[in-house]
Amino acid sequence: MSNMDGRALRSEASSCRKIMGVSVALVTVASLMSTTVYGQTVDLSQWSPEYVKSIAGTKTFDTAADCGAVVPNDYAGNVSYWYTGPFEADPIISHEQDKAFWDAFHTAYPNIKTDVQSITYNELLDKFRTALLGNSAPMVIRLQILGGVEFAAKGYLNPITPEDYGFTAADFWPGALKSVTYDNTLYGLPTNNETMAFIWNAKVFADAGLDPEKAPATWDDVVAYSKQIKDKLGISGYGLVAKQNAGNTPFRFMPQLWAYGGGALDETAPNPTYAKVEINNEGSRAAVQAAYQMYAVDKSVPISALTNTQAENQAPFIAGQLGMMIAHPSEYAKMLDLASKATGSDKEVADAVVANMRYGLLPTGPDGKRAVVFGGSNIHVVKPEFVDGGAVDEQAVKALICMWDSPEWSTKLNWAGSNPGNINGFLTDAMKERLDTIKFLDVTTSMLPSGIPFPVLPESPEIMNIIVPDMLQNALTGNMTVDQATDDAAQKIESVIAGGGAGI
Amino acid sequence: MTTISERAVSRRNRVDWWRWAGRLFLVLVLGFTVMPMIWMIITSLKTGFAAMQYPPQWWPASPTLENYTRLLDPSGRIGQDFLHYFWNSLWVSTITTVLAVVVAVPAAYAFSRFRFPGRNFLFFAVLLRNMFPAVVFLVPLFILMKALGLVNTHGSLILTYLTFGLPLAIWLLKGFYDNIPIQLEQAARIDGATRFQAFIFVVMPLSTPGIIATSIYSFIGAWNEYIYAYTFLTKQSQMTLPVGIQRFFSENATDWPGLMAATFIMSVPVVVLFLVLQKYFVQALTEGAVKH
Amino acid sequence: MSSSQGQAIFRDVPATVRKEANFGQRVYNSRFDYLYVAPALLVMLIVIAYPVYYTIDLSFFKTPASLSLANKTFTGLDNYVTVLTSAIFWKVTWQTIIWTVLSTLFSFLIGLGAALALHRAFIGRALLRGLLLIPWVVSAVAASYVWKWLYHSDFGVIGALLNQVGLADGPVNLIDNTTTSLYALIVVNVWKEFSFAMIMLMAGLQTVPESLLRAAQVDGASAWQRFWHVTVPQLQGVSTVTILLLVVQNFNSFIIPFIMTGGGPVGSTQIWITHIYELAFLRQNWGVGAAYAVLLFLIMMVLGYFYVRALTRGDDKRAGA
Repeated sequence: MSNMDGRALRSEASSCRKIMGVSVALVTVASLMSTTVYGQTVDLSQWSPEYVKSIAGTKTFDTAADCGAVVPNDYAGNVSYWYTGPFEADPIISHEQDKAFWDAFHTAYPNIKTDVQSITYNELLDKFRTALLGNSAPMVIRLQILGGVEFAAKGYLNPITPEDYGFTAADFWPGALKSVTYDNTLYGLPTNNETMAFIWNAKVFADAGLDPEKAPATWDDVVAYSKQIKDKLGISGYGLVAKQNAGNTPFRFMPQLWAYGGGALDETAPNPTYAKVEINNEGSRAAVQAAYQMYAVDKSVPISALTNTQAENQAPFIAGQLGMMIAHPSEYAKMLDLASKATGSDKEVADAVVANMRYGLLPTGPDGKRAVVFGGSNIHVVKPEFVDGGAVDEQAVKALICMWDSPEWSTKLNWAGSNPGNINGFLTDAMKERLDTIKFLDVTTSMLPSGIPFPVLPESPEIMNIIVPDMLQNALTGNMTVDQATDDAAQKIESVIAGGGAGI
Repeated sequence: MTTISERAVSRRNRVDWWRWAGRLFLVLVLGFTVMPMIWMIITSLKTGFAAMQYPPQWWPASPTLENYTRLLDPSGRIGQDFLHYFWNSLWVSTITTVLAVVVAVPAAYAFSRFRFPGRNFLFFAVLLRNMFPAVVFLVPLFILMKALGLVNTHGSLILTYLTFGLPLAIWLLKGFYDNIPIQLEQAARIDGATRFQAFIFVVMPLSTPGIIATSIYSFIGAWNEYIYAYTFLTKQSQMTLPVGIQRFFSENATDWPGLMAATFIMSVPVVVLFLVLQKYFVQALTEGAVKH
Repeated sequence: MSSSQGQAIFRDVPATVRKEANFGQRVYNSRFDYLYVAPALLVMLIVIAYPVYYTIDLSFFKTPASLSLANKTFTGLDNYVTVLTSAIFWKVTWQTIIWTVLSTLFSFLIGLGAALALHRAFIGRALLRGLLLIPWVVSAVAASYVWKWLYHSDFGVIGALLNQVGLADGPVNLIDNTTTSLYALIVVNVWKEFSFAMIMLMAGLQTVPESLLRAAQVDGASAWQRFWHVTVPQLQGVSTVTILLLVVQNFNSFIIPFIMTGGGPVGSTQIWITHIYELAFLRQNWGVGAAYAVLLFLIMMVLGYFYVRALTRGDDKRAGA
């Protein structure tokens, strides 16, 4: 993860272009080159909870005007857009901000017609793939961070130059830009980024004889704590998940794998080549062994872990039946929401759990290495020939992306669930309000610089969503020994990268 | 030597033994059948966390109808969405049923009465649809629907669902027509009716149970279908119930009681429909499925 | 006798047409007949022909994740070789056979038992029959979720019941392990299907002549003997059709395994259909998925032949006779 030098960040547009020249090799269709540089004033080298608090609320932006400089506000056109919006189980604030955005967009650009579809997280990739095959894709799509590279590799996405949309490369996290670069070309822009955190129930810890205010420091501690919780209280300690083809599994297991010194490929290296398989190195084996210890030996994690996604850990946690788990930053808001809906005796239980929720940094490996998945979403533009109707209205697309990724909206739209992909979002009032109202936000945002993106390969979804969980399941069910499972996974990863298929 | 009356008594006892075994079997099967539905109802009456207790509460500590009211309340967003899905399902299922009858009845009659070249082959082709797994066809059918301009419309579903019910419908109705003596049509023809008129006015009314059975089968099939609805529809406004209910499992929360309530509501129409009309269905199977 | 007189009613052309007309003339003579079947055939043609062609075509190509489908490379029978030589293929095939055979067998047996028990009228029979039909009518998606909840290894009611009754001590794991997961799913499948078998067999039972049964009874046959020697042979036709329908349905049953376990854990509940879905949609390996699908078609064709033969038995005797 490269560190930006303070001076470089405050330089003029020309230096920013130089940095961009490194990451962008291709120029898209020539268009309006007016750039709105937001005057990057965030110093990533000082990143810490205190720094984050200190810069919040120090700048305001007039998004409609800023984007009006990129695309005139009276432009008439249309844009189609797919994304994962708020659903029934999401907190109210998410719904409110989503609505507020579309209102603001239609006020700023009253003559642009929007055709918007909100599709659930687990279905979006499937539907996008099918739509592409039938040439009925939307013009713009926001995909989770792991999703876009497959389509970039297949030639479905348009290369992007940030200036066209009023941004510069310095407005985004380097790791985020890495995740959206394929073959030295930028194929999208980050919209939001988050890293997971570790949450635990302080009361459960206290009852089990553990220090209620301290998170387990290392993964070995997690194994020990989990056992203690199970032995003393009879409930599950750590919320392990190992379901195949569920996005949550790699987000929770990879940090463990990386912390021990392992990896799928060499994604933890400063300059990854994504050519070397690391899944059966010593660190990886140790990580799988730890999971095996918890599941099969200590039996301190839910038995249903093999068919659980993270969603199925939440309810037990809020019911006080689970001690700790890796959680998305939005978990707190979710719990608050669930607690507010509870009635009768359930309400006391729920309120108690909410009061006892604690957030901490993810545990480190035995060497003190802390790793966390760099998560988030990116926004992409689809090539016209695959779009429904055969054409892409470039100006309308620019207007949408400019507003969606503006400091103001990239913060507000990700209020409960994530953090602004546009780093300038950390300067807004909205950010300050979030810091004041969302407990532990300072903790969850503090790990952003140490995030590692998944390998940026089109085969990554298969590796992360199928091969890695398979390996876990093989080891946890005792189908294979830990060594066999990791070797098996190594073989599969190698054959997938070579272009064949694994385990056909 | 046993007398006749003694033999009769012992026979009666043996029959009774079978009868009791039959009754016991029925009770067990009934329990097996009904238990999941009962648990579904009980879960739907619980609040979110109550469902997560282990050991589970056999009867909710604070039973509530809020899961149901939330789904059916038109003023709330959830209620609006749910009722919309309900309406979409109703619409698609009804149209599919009507078209299925319109298409299947003449075809069944033709296969029953007529002898034309290729008859057996075509009958085979129609029934063959049953053999093909729905899943395999998802992508090519999607491409086809795109070419026909039907993506994200209910038309794509109706067209596809037609093919699900047709094989059984045609087979069932053919059996019906096989069992209707041709003397009736002969009489009508002698009286001057054309072949078509004889069919419409004489024969078809006699196959009413078969038509009702076909309708029930088509309706239920279309109502419950999931995979194609999932693939062909992306617009939320078009979604049918099975797909809509999936949305209760969004990324970060599992609302089991809500899901159970939704599942229950989704099952009610078809179960009621079936209970009311089951006698026609049984009659149709009896007359249509069994050759005399 | 059947002959031209009976058939003449069903032709809109004079009965004087010679029977030795060649194929072309026969087609022309029957042209109005085709109108009756045209709509059905048109629908089937559209929805079946193109997908079958597409799938067969795709099975001869290699489709790596880094290339779009438009750029697929021709590879001949490679995909078929890959499929037939992979260990997973044999594992999935074996699981599919277990799934199909056991589901069909138990659905049929339970259906038969229920049909026999419901054969004689008694108070509440219609209600009971209706209740027993509920699983068949309820959607497979709904059933999958309910049963998934019942089987849940940590919070499921089945585990709780077993504990309550004393048959188990601690959480009961029926679905999160590789040994019993397939059988747990088979139970769900049987639950869903047995009432279909029941209703078919009930219809069949109604056609068993009472006179035969009474004659056997007078001859001193026991209930079992009456069942075995009179009822069973009479049920043969319906049984064959029912079993065939069940086999086809089970072979292609997708929703229950997909929603409940997604083929896991470690592929222990993977049957052909879910495996094809995973290959094509989740792993984007369309070529191999298509090869699998073509193999599936071939097996279905064979089954289909027997299916249609059973259904059209005795047709020629009946028509126009």
